Amino acid sequence: MKEKEISPIHILMLIPGVGFILLFIGSSIFLTLVQSFGLFSITGKSEFTLENWKAILQAKESMDSLFFSLKMGLFSSVGTLVVAFPIALFFRKGGTGKGILGSIIKVPLFIPALVAAFLILNLISYHGLVNTVLMRLNLIDEPLRMLNDKFGWGVVFIQIWKNLPFVLLIVMAALASIRDDTIDVAKNLGAGYWSVLFRIYVPLAMPGILVSMILMFIKAFGDFPICSVAGPVYPSSMAGRMQIMATIYQEWDQAAVLGVIIIVTAFIVIWAYSRFAELFKGEV
Amino acid sequence: MVSTDSITKTPLHLIQARRKRHFYLLLMIFFVIVQILWIGIPILMAVMWSLVDPKKPWSYPNVFPPSFSLAQWKYVFNYTNIGRALRTSYSLAPLAVLLSLVLSLPTSYVLGRKKIPGKKLFMLVVLLPIIMPGMVVALFLSRVFTAFGLSQTFFGLVLAHTLMSIPYMIRVMTTSFQAIPQDVIDAAENLGANTLVKIKDIFLPMIRPGLLAGMIFAFTVSIEEFNLTFIIGTPTFETIPTILYSFMGYNFIRTNASVVALLMMTPNIIMLFIVERFLKSDYLAASLGKM
Repeated sequence: MKEKEISPIHILMLIPGVGFILLFIGSSIFLTLVQSFGLFSITGKSEFTLENWKAILQAKESMDSLFFSLKMGLFSSVGTLVVAFPIALFFRKGGTGKGILGSIIKVPLFIPALVAAFLILNLISYHGLVNTVLMRLNLIDEPLRMLNDKFGWGVVFIQIWKNLPFVLLIVMAALASIRDDTIDVAKNLGAGYWSVLFRIYVPLAMPGILVSMILMFIKAFGDFPICSVAGPVYPSSMAGRMQIMATIYQEWDQAAVLGVIIIVTAFIVIWAYSRFAELFKGEV
Repeated sequence: MVSTDSITKTPLHLIQARRKRHFYLLLMIFFVIVQILWIGIPILMAVMWSLVDPKKPWSYPNVFPPSFSLAQWKYVFNYTNIGRALRTSYSLAPLAVLLSLVLSLPTSYVLGRKKIPGKKLFMLVVLLPIIMPGMVVALFLSRVFTAFGLSQTFFGLVLAHTLMSIPYMIRVMTTSFQAIPQDVIDAAENLGANTLVKIKDIFLPMIRPGLLAGMIFAFTVSIEEFNLTFIIGTPTFETIPTILYSFMGYNFIRTNASVVALLMMTPNIIMLFIVERFLKSDYLAASLGKM
């Protein structure tokens, strides 16, 4: 299938794309890392120090932010999957009307995250539509606090609304690659609805599910604008905390520590994903 | 399950099949309604908020605004920086798309068609701008940019937007290059096609859908890019997302924000329907479905 020889020219051809990314992402990762240890510092003197790490790790605020961001990542990614998976299954089976539905459902994919936040904010704010309707129906006595709430449900809801099509597309592609024969065989062998679901659909779609989960987790975990608009007043998200640290307090070195924590968490999640994916490869 | 006398009547499996069809039809209708509510209501709310008459405010017990006017739209265009932000956004995006296209073409060709060592690693590196949390990249890239004198410049913003859109471009184009059958290329070579002819008659027509998809994704990514623009560009440059953020921040002005939100999403939704019309397969899923 592939063309035969590789020449040095081909390696050179990788440079514009891969090199461009490596140059900018690499340099920013490098800078984050060294600044967290006080090197290349712009604000103070540049020398190796662990003070910034101590300051961040001992602060209750940063631990609260870390916990909050992890929670947002987990709830947003799992929540989206729980909504997306049944829809994806439906799309696999029911052929009729796929076209229109498919287009409508993809709309949020093309709505920028901030706009999505704003759209949902109108619904769930204190005097928003949801509260008004619930009050009119006499289901609640006073408006529910869904926006800027302590837990962050507002953020989770916005993330689900915005990212549903993204997860849906990937899970749908994964489900589409399962052959009908496999399911027919299982049914002939007496597999019920639930065992088809959990022993065929879920494991065979697992690679797609994992990829969408991981991308969504990282997005929600490192999010800045949605959390700062719809999240609780305290704690702020990790990215928000880092931004405040750097641009308001001008503590770039401590912001770098927060940055390293965010990056490391992202990579741990990716690593865990690849381990998990291998586990599934062995089983199926 | 089939009893002897049921042969004369409608066979059971046909009844079951019909029931199943009806069930799916009902489910379909249910899904359509839920979809319309799920997507439509939020957008409708924004439209209504943008049309509120400033003289007759829309407040709590009313489900609909008492009267409509275009005053908010006029206000936003006359008294805020939205005009400039629109110009910045829509001149940044084409440049970023163009630059990422130029940069990604050779790379995607090699990644899609050549057996190079460490290809998997390269494909992961390409995803880095998506995987890396935006704010971390934004803050510390701004330091790098400052060192090179790129911070607060238009060129710096073009580079930043290119960085965020290039992963989609490379991924989608790599998939399209991969999809070209080697036979076609071999046949063309046997018939004496040189590189130029190969590019013009094989590669370009065959990767065109992918090219279009990549460009559209890159464009939307650039239009909605927030983190990098916010750190590297503000206050010198404002784009639509950063201006929306300023309306949603401490001085939350719902009516202004809804005008900006509508301005920002309408071109994107139009673009979505273009993608639907012209592109048959799901390029996003195909290019991001595996890591």
